[in-house]
Amino acid sequence: MSQVSEGLLEGARHAPVSLRTTDVTMRFGETYAVRDVSLEVAAGEVVSIIGPSGAGKSTFLRCINQLEVPTSGTVQVGDKSVVFGAGPRRDREIADLRRNVGMVFQSFNLFPHLTVLRNIALPQERVLGRTRKDAEARAMALLNRVGLAEKAESYPGKCSGGQQQRVAIARALALDPAVMLFDEPTSALDPEVGAEVLAVMKELAHEGMTMLVVTHEMAFAHDVSDRVVVMVDGSIVEEGDPKTVMESPTHPRTQQFLAAVLGR
Amino acid sequence: MFEYFGYIALGVLGTVGVTFGALAIGTVVGMPLAWLRRSRHAIVRMPAVAVIEVLRGVPNLVWLFLVFFGLPQIGIRLDPWSSAILTLGVASAAHIAEIYRGGLAGLSRGQWEASDALGLSRMDRRRLIVLPQMQRVIVPTMATYAIGLLKDSALASTIGVVELTFRGGVVTQRTGDGLTTFLVVGVVYLLLSLPLALAARRVDSRMRAKFSVG
Repeated sequence: MSQVSEGLLEGARHAPVSLRTTDVTMRFGETYAVRDVSLEVAAGEVVSIIGPSGAGKSTFLRCINQLEVPTSGTVQVGDKSVVFGAGPRRDREIADLRRNVGMVFQSFNLFPHLTVLRNIALPQERVLGRTRKDAEARAMALLNRVGLAEKAESYPGKCSGGQQQRVAIARALALDPAVMLFDEPTSALDPEVGAEVLAVMKELAHEGMTMLVVTHEMAFAHDVSDRVVVMVDGSIVEEGDPKTVMESPTHPRTQQFLAAVLGR
Repeated sequence: MFEYFGYIALGVLGTVGVTFGALAIGTVVGMPLAWLRRSRHAIVRMPAVAVIEVLRGVPNLVWLFLVFFGLPQIGIRLDPWSSAILTLGVASAAHIAEIYRGGLAGLSRGQWEASDALGLSRMDRRRLIVLPQMQRVIVPTMATYAIGLLKDSALASTIGVVELTFRGGVVTQRTGDGLTTFLVVGVVYLLLSLPLALAARRVDSRMRAKFSVG
């Protein structure tokens, strides 16, 4: 997309870092939503998580920034780690973790009572202590880069789904995250509108952001990610470079899943 | 008869005083009550449920009599004004708590999740994200409730609060013309409640034009 010309990461405080999870498990009684998921995403790497519905992909992603509380395991972002299931949760650690991790939701979750500009500026003011002037300048710069400068004063309700999702990406990037999580960012969008969002994500990938993406967009997983991880029943069953995993999968569940979604 | 119009109209002060006094108590006390009512922990939630249901399940007139005629027996003596404002205020808190709860239920979970994912503190999440949206949702219901309360404030006349209805009674006794008197009283109530309803509709549609929630 030609509107995304300048860098999305221009003006960010720090460089993307690595993300590592070790044996992350989330259990309800005897049922495992996520089971012993260990995954490493190197700084600047883009990893897509694919797999059938109900495989625990989103739950795993939400465990990383604590929207779900894992039963056990470790999440490490850069050199900071949080261990779960050992002692009480420490709000300080969780706040630190969230500060470094940006998240984009399937349902956008913009704040409907704030303008697009305020959606992006307010969290900067409250979380990073930026002045309103600085925060809004940064917001405008990002809006320019996602091609939505003219929407700054609109309310989210007046924006299309694709526009809202691009605003949501800008809102997350404005906080200078070191890692970005995407939870099925285009699943609620028409394919052509989803393309606008994917273009921004592709741009972000090229600029070296560390990205972990739960997606049903097989083309994105194939073309943009450095690595693809297949999750089934709460566990990783296969991972590797996109071509190998998606063109000649070895695990039967991967073969079955790809056959279903790719219709072959 | 006309010479009494001024006397009746002055009752507006009493009616408005009781209504807004009670509303002020209700909007403030209703807030923590709503939050307790939403708690995940039954030990916190259940007492809040009990308080709300008991307050709502007994007629306001009975509460008023309990406070004004009952409490003196255990040594708590309140004047009619305090009794009326306090009783209607606390009873309102229960109703308003439920209005708040309905408003909160109307917001999508994603609003809390986005706030958390962005790293907003609980205080900021409540003050900057949840409350402003809840306010928007509850405007129509709150206006309806306020109008109901305005009319309920007439109950205060039964314990001697000199407001509209009370003054109507006084004038009727003096003139014997209950028809004219209470027609006037009724019209005054109408003149108070109509602007409230219109204002609420204006606020509601103006906010609706700007954004919608949910």
